[in-house]
Amino acid sequence: MRQLTAFTKKELRESLRTGRMPLLVILSVLFGIMNPLVAKLTPWMMENFAGSLEESGMVLTEIKVDVFTSWTQFYKNTPIYLIVFIVIASGILTTEYQKGTLIIILTKGMNRWKLILSKAFSALLLWTVCYWISFGITYAYNMYFWDNSMASHIFFGAFCLYMTGLWLITLIMLMSSLCSTNYMVLAGTGGVFFVFYLLAWIPDMKKYIPTQLMSSYSLLPQAADVSDFMCAVVITGVLSVVNLLLSILIFNKKLL
Amino acid sequence: MDMLTLSHVSKSFGSKKIIDDLSFTVPEHCVYGFIGQNGAGKTTTMKMILGLLQTDSGTIKVNGETVRYGQNRTNRYMGYLPDVPEFYGYMTPSEYLRLCGEITGMSSAGIRKKSDELLHLVGLDKENKRIHGFSRGMKQRLGIAQALLNEPKLLICDEPTSALDPLGRKEILDILLSVKDHTTVVFSTHILSDVERICDEIALLHNGRTALKGTLEEIKSRRKGNGFDIEFYTPQDADAFAASMSGSERISAVRLFFPGKDEKDMTHAMKILADNALCVQKVEMREATLENLFMEVIGI
Repeated sequence: MRQLTAFTKKELRESLRTGRMPLLVILSVLFGIMNPLVAKLTPWMMENFAGSLEESGMVLTEIKVDVFTSWTQFYKNTPIYLIVFIVIASGILTTEYQKGTLIIILTKGMNRWKLILSKAFSALLLWTVCYWISFGITYAYNMYFWDNSMASHIFFGAFCLYMTGLWLITLIMLMSSLCSTNYMVLAGTGGVFFVFYLLAWIPDMKKYIPTQLMSSYSLLPQAADVSDFMCAVVITGVLSVVNLLLSILIFNKKLL
Repeated sequence: MDMLTLSHVSKSFGSKKIIDDLSFTVPEHCVYGFIGQNGAGKTTTMKMILGLLQTDSGTIKVNGETVRYGQNRTNRYMGYLPDVPEFYGYMTPSEYLRLCGEITGMSSAGIRKKSDELLHLVGLDKENKRIHGFSRGMKQRLGIAQALLNEPKLLICDEPTSALDPLGRKEILDILLSVKDHTTVVFSTHILSDVERICDEIALLHNGRTALKGTLEEIKSRRKGNGFDIEFYTPQDADAFAASMSGSERISAVRLFFPGKDEKDMTHAMKILADNALCVQKVEMREATLENLFMEVIGI
């Protein structure tokens, strides 16, 4: 247990002092503010553009902005934030391989599986904090400007998207135990994501695929039901655990 | 008691055999010099001892326990100083030692006491800045501090002095000598003067095997009778002497070398000199130095 806490502390200190954590937190705050802001500003922007749009033959009717507009923004922007997060987190092990900093740590008697777990835990913790900050800010603004109760399953919908991030982070861990540069890690993670994305085109497969969780917005206007995502949530959870187990097994045999 | 035993260890990378049936033992409280050219397999051997690299065959025992690749139970007996130690640059030395101590399972008070003591020993006790501003020598010294933190029974140093200036080298060697009472030190190097300065026993690694091993005195005495030199004042004297004692090689106009001759031959030679009233500048026995042993073994 002591090794786990000591190394997790080291990971958090590292992300704080190298500026990774402050950057991600600031971005999550900005994204959180941006979602309702863009929604709020849409009518104003459209008005400004109305003149030029009319010239090209388009006529704007009155634009209705409500809580759904803001949540749509949340589901559109969060994947972008997730990509930024993944790119920043992709060096979690590979930078240590390249610098050779793990050698001393391992010769001090650090268990390899604890090393992987501490790294995964601190990345997941950072994702959890950042994601729910962004969600919380959007939620609070939405409550203030509009009415959250109009939308259904706000929390479950957000949880689905959160799970996608969780799964991708464990995938980063798996790829990091396999590859030695962070470009390879990113390519591998992107590759697996893309394969799942393609699989989701098969109608029968759709409800089991983790990438499907990114379209959980449809829960809010009740275009989909919780049961439509339940399978994917469970499978994503299982896959995340499998990813971690595999990364421990592979890292145990990794040449450093 | 033997602290470290390697028996019949082999390791290949692809088709290249780096370590070929290597066996040696290191007794407790000894400074063991592990010598070899660059690329002789010193680092490979050390990484196998630390369980960072898998052996193809053979066994390695540390303090009586077998080393297993990937699992580092035996590492609790060891401290390791890599050739180029790499630390987390955003930490201060005491933060880094705290992390190492916590990983090894030392008590909080123990870590504080031991890191103060070690930072003082390596002369970093006044450095409170972060490690990324450290010089090579400072990193090397911090490397020793971290290696000694858990009071290891076996300290393994991979070329600790190779990249340092003479002063830095002396500091590191002094530290290694000073810890000898508590711990067994194995250190690899290709700097032979370092070996002569601090080692009790050595092993010379060549072509994946130990070409020479034993205590420093043993090895040197085994190669005694290397011959002697006589230096004369005039070439004529040298000519005259070469005629009266066989087996000489002419090194220069006034200098003769008698290869393979021992002390007895030398006294005989001095008798001839006295009988013929030949005056010499010097008569000198050739001592086996580590350097010429090294050259001899690797065949230069």
